[in-house]
Amino acid sequence: MSNFREAQRQAHPTKTNTLSLGIICVLILVLVMQVWLLTAALNESLDGNNAVKWPAFIASSVLFLAGAALLRYLPDPIRHARRVRKHEEASRRL
Amino acid sequence: MSSTPLPPRSPAETDFPIDRAEAEHVTRREFAKFLCLLSGGMAVGSGWVAVKDKIFPPFTFEGERFVCNVEDVVFGATHPFTIQGSRTPFILIRLNDGSFRAYEQKCTHLACAVYYSPDKNKIECPCHHGYFDANDGKVLAGPPPRPLPHLEVSVRDGKVFVREPERKERT
Repeated sequence: MSNFREAQRQAHPTKTNTLSLGIICVLILVLVMQVWLLTAALNESLDGNNAVKWPAFIASSVLFLAGAALLRYLPDPIRHARRVRKHEEASRRL
Repeated sequence: MSSTPLPPRSPAETDFPIDRAEAEHVTRREFAKFLCLLSGGMAVGSGWVAVKDKIFPPFTFEGERFVCNVEDVVFGATHPFTIQGSRTPFILIRLNDGSFRAYEQKCTHLACAVYYSPDKNKIECPCHHGYFDANDGKVLAGPPPRPLPHLEVSVRDGKVFVREPERKERT
């Protein structure tokens, strides 16, 4: 099996830091856009303009799904270390 | 000095640690997940805005409703009223030129009760100093985001009636 990822991890130990902060920044940006969409849709809806509320809902849902998908790439170094340790123990037992 | 490694913790011990500082610590992973939860809440809120009118249709009424007699409201005075079947407060205003206007009494900013100021010919919201034009209800100053909702007023035989304005459906 390729040890490319492990080598990369050793070469750039702060990569997970950058990734975590990047994902958090994107999530905050998504949240700000959703707040804007919600207030705009509510304002227009109360003013009798119903053309905005459904597109705003769809856009907000898409942003949420994009944010949720982004969580998949959130680094988990503790779980990764545990997995590596388990793998090492298993190979030692063999 | 040799230290013995701590025994591995169970998932329950990881989620609910005994040490207080450890229990109060919020990791970046948890923070990111919380942001995602808020994002889901925003999406649900937008969905609620979209379906609200279908679940709770706004109150409307047919035809004209009697409010009061013309002589009950002097020039520059205000007459509060409600429409039967609704709890929304309205005000009937007699402007200085003698014409009548009827507006919802709730400010479009944070629903404070507005009042008519005859010397300025403006409708004022005392909470955050929002001003509306008494002639058409449009926002003149302050934080209100929308004009005051109004009713159409007609005067017949010394009596004042109101009716729903024709809605310009912008769907």
